[in-house]
Amino acid sequence: MEKLGMILPLLVPIIGTLFIVNKRLISDKNLTKVVAVTVIINFVCVVYSLFFNDLTAVHILKVNAFLDIYFKVDQLTRVFSLLASSLWVLTAFYAFAYMDHEKRHRQFYTFFTLTLAVIMGVAYSGNLFTLYGYYELLTLCTLPLVIHPGTAEALQSGKKYIIYSFGGATLVVLGMMMLYAVTGDMSFMAHGIVDLSLIEGNRDLLKWSYLAMFLGFGVKAALVPFHSWLPNAMVAPTPVSALLHAVAVVKSGVFSLIRMTYFIFGTQTVLALDVTKYLMPFVVVTIVMGSLLALHQDHLKRRLAYSTISQLGYILLGILMLTPNGLLGAMLHLINHAVIKITLFFVVGAITHMTHFKYIHQIRGIGKQMPITMICFTVAAISLVGIPPTNGFVSKWFLGLGALNIGNFLYIIILLLSAFFTAGYLLPISVTSFFVSSKSEFHERDGYQAHYETLHEMSDDSVRETTREMANDMIHEVAHEATHEATHETAHETANDTIHEMANDTAHDTAHNTLRNETVAARHSEDGEAGATGAKPIKLEPPKGMLYPIVLLTVIIVGLGIFPNTIINFLGVVIQDAF
Amino acid sequence: MLQCLTLVTHNTASPNLVKLIPLVSIMLLMLSAFMMPLLKKKRHLFGLAGGALAILMVLSFVNVAYIYQNGGYYFDIGHFPAPFGISLRIGEIESLIALLFAIVDLMVTWYAYYSLEKEIKESRIAFFHTMNLLLLASLLGIVFTNDIFNGFVFLEVSTLAACGIIVVKDKKTNIKAGLKYLILSSLGSGLVLMGIAFIYSLSGHLSMDYIHEAMIANLDGKQNTILISVILFTVGLGIKGAMFPLHIWLPDAHASAPSPSSAILSALVIKAPVIFLIKVFYRVYGTQIIHETVILDLVLMFGVMGMIFGSLFARSQKELKRMIAYSSVAQMGYIFFAIGLGNTLGVVMAIYHIVAHALTKSSLFLAAGSFIEQTGFKHIEDFRGIGKEMPVTLGIFTVSGLSMIGIPVLPGFISKWNLAMASIQIDKLYLLIFLLISSLLNASYYFPIIINGYFGEENLDGKVFLSKSKPIKQLLPLIILTVLMVLVGFFSGNLIEFIERGVYTV
Repeated sequence: MEKLGMILPLLVPIIGTLFIVNKRLISDKNLTKVVAVTVIINFVCVVYSLFFNDLTAVHILKVNAFLDIYFKVDQLTRVFSLLASSLWVLTAFYAFAYMDHEKRHRQFYTFFTLTLAVIMGVAYSGNLFTLYGYYELLTLCTLPLVIHPGTAEALQSGKKYIIYSFGGATLVVLGMMMLYAVTGDMSFMAHGIVDLSLIEGNRDLLKWSYLAMFLGFGVKAALVPFHSWLPNAMVAPTPVSALLHAVAVVKSGVFSLIRMTYFIFGTQTVLALDVTKYLMPFVVVTIVMGSLLALHQDHLKRRLAYSTISQLGYILLGILMLTPNGLLGAMLHLINHAVIKITLFFVVGAITHMTHFKYIHQIRGIGKQMPITMICFTVAAISLVGIPPTNGFVSKWFLGLGALNIGNFLYIIILLLSAFFTAGYLLPISVTSFFVSSKSEFHERDGYQAHYETLHEMSDDSVRETTREMANDMIHEVAHEATHEATHETAHETANDTIHEMANDTAHDTAHNTLRNETVAARHSEDGEAGATGAKPIKLEPPKGMLYPIVLLTVIIVGLGIFPNTIINFLGVVIQDAF
Repeated sequence: MLQCLTLVTHNTASPNLVKLIPLVSIMLLMLSAFMMPLLKKKRHLFGLAGGALAILMVLSFVNVAYIYQNGGYYFDIGHFPAPFGISLRIGEIESLIALLFAIVDLMVTWYAYYSLEKEIKESRIAFFHTMNLLLLASLLGIVFTNDIFNGFVFLEVSTLAACGIIVVKDKKTNIKAGLKYLILSSLGSGLVLMGIAFIYSLSGHLSMDYIHEAMIANLDGKQNTILISVILFTVGLGIKGAMFPLHIWLPDAHASAPSPSSAILSALVIKAPVIFLIKVFYRVYGTQIIHETVILDLVLMFGVMGMIFGSLFARSQKELKRMIAYSSVAQMGYIFFAIGLGNTLGVVMAIYHIVAHALTKSSLFLAAGSFIEQTGFKHIEDFRGIGKEMPVTLGIFTVSGLSMIGIPVLPGFISKWNLAMASIQIDKLYLLIFLLISSLLNASYYFPIIINGYFGEENLDGKVFLSKSKPIKQLLPLIILTVLMVLVGFFSGNLIEFIERGVYTV
């Protein structure tokens, strides 16, 4: 019974998935309810098995020292599984609202819950073999989520994702093979299993093993030469992107790195092997390059993706410092970045959901229409920059302390520099949405009208045809949603976005103008004279299902910033295990 | 230098019935094979073949159970003791391989019951079964025999029978592929025969144990003769076992044959010569002699080349079955790699991989056969969106593919892992790179099929869910093979232990 209680979190999502898959058992209408019940039960089970169950280790299948499926609960498991399962609940509710307009719900929720099972497996793994198994499964389960839109572009990104992931996993196996040849054991123990005495005679083997595994797990943690799958994976629906960035994929990479460094090799051994000097350049480049690349992205989600790369660099830096403060900073940032990034993504998703905007230049003045959402965004952004009293400040503080402990001022400079860049790429979004007027675009409209005839002749027929169809559909949708409130302005904005989606390259300009005029005409005829004046800001706040998670997360961000002690004490046990 | 078998002395007073099993198996198969032409109805044909194979499977299982309890044994045919008569030697490995062959062949026959007449003329079904059973009999003979000339005879029989199940389709490409196979295989058998001649002139014996003793006794000054003979054996059996540069017959034969034949060819026909090669290396020559020659390094090198180039060729194929056939070349590369490592773990993993690959590849070929049968397409491009029409079959394909790619606990991963351990044991770390590159290459050609099969807006457009799915009774053989494959992965520890008990002294 205790055994079952312990592995319940691994089973509940799988059982939920079995229900979700079954069309006869669960109708489309009840789908979201089952998902909600599953993730909530799972959360309860996680809490039960972490805190109220005496059993902390269980062998599911032990054939020999190598083939051993083994689950174990320690403090690090608690941190990661609590983080994942709670954020999963929030994401689930967000996704119910967000996925309204997407297709293939059943497929989405199937893999959504299945990935939760895999993440729990990653968290509960008691040895490297089990962890690796779940790590591979993670790639396989998240792939359908990444390619969920089903377009050629999505499939291409999925391909890239899988190539990088399997390449990384292969490096991990390489490292595991070399490790196992030396130790004959792969279970996670506090202070590591690689004894200092083992180093004599196996130095090269262990060194290569560490490097191979670090780079291998580093692929999922978006270490710089292996990072480019992450921005590409932005084609996924936003709840997926949010999860990928916050907990599911990149954080399991980071989690694995902590497991490997502190629970397999151990601090002393890594220091004795002296391998960090080869890896630090990668990490430093990751931090700086991630934020530099983020600066010039116009696509909102891609900007956040590059920001993730940079922030993950912080965590890796903290891990590689090999000091208690550094690790504490890394663990704090693991949690804080998860909460912050998921908020940012939720906001961007809300914007896209309500207005179909995807680019920064489109969201001028949107802060007036979505004040609560954008305020949450701003708070999260400030936190990521590292300004008190938010949680981002706390983690950066400890990272800085860690750098001071090893007496390396370069790292502190890099931390500060990157914080500066972070402000440079996140705050303009808030500024654009609140303070830049969206009116400038309106003046151009007369010009468009004048050139309508000529442009009409020039435009490519087929492109115009399809774009017009799409636009009309979209307009009808919006018209239904915002029957009375929607004025001239919304229609205009929507159409604008539609163009960005549909019409590319050469056809872009012509289609743009054609569409705009048609939209204007359409709105005029529908609304009569009412559409002519549209200066008053319209409330466009997302539905409650999306808004509440965002607000809740923002409260958590500030809360963790003001009262960091609880969480630091909680993490203290992990630090004790590691050092 | 005695074997690690518990040698059971001849006891005519109380003949142990279990020890008759190997001979009975071969006789049973041959008898049923020759009875086939007498039968006409499809049901009777399949009834006889299935019945014979089912009995064979039970017998083989009893045999394995007996050997698990009591260890291996020798069996003298016709009560003539070894130097004069022919003897069979059945240890852990032989019995395991026999059981494997029986299971796979039974499943393939089950599958063929529903689909064979769609690929070949109905009048040819009797011929197919004759050849199939004869083939299995000869393969078991190759595996069991302790007499090197006897092995050669079975090898020739297997060549002809295998040629039979290739040309059974009566198409131009089949005749061509069959001839190609026949010519190259005969060349291989010829080389093996020459090797036997060399060995006979050295030792004056044909029985493996006696040759070995004689060779150990007068080793001096004969290194060159030994080297020549061992190379003759390696090349000869390498052709039949599709060692990399000698594999050229395989893709044509495997791709053009009917799917059940392809499965048998890939799972069984190329495996038996490899077992024979291992026997020649370690039972005829013995560890001491074989390690003095360069042959193991050569086998290792060809194995590595097979792993890499087989996969590279597979990547560039347009037809599904040709791709799977080239993947077989790559997987045989793993087996030769394992043999070439030259340590105990290497040989154990060669046997393990033979078991794993036989199960995996047969289910892959049968799954591919189902796709082709239900859709009429042959090219990989045309199977986009197949996952919606035939989800279970593509699921089976996926599990097998994942094993090839090396997802943990599936047998492909176990093989790779242990091969890596064996490479580290002999201090050849650079070999790990090849192992891992090859597994990435495997991923590169299995994944696109799976992903395009299940996902993608365009791919799924116009496909109707489950529209081409086969009924469960037709899918069951594939499912059983896949389940067995997964079990082979899960219980790899026990299986490897069992193989290790019977492995020839290395």
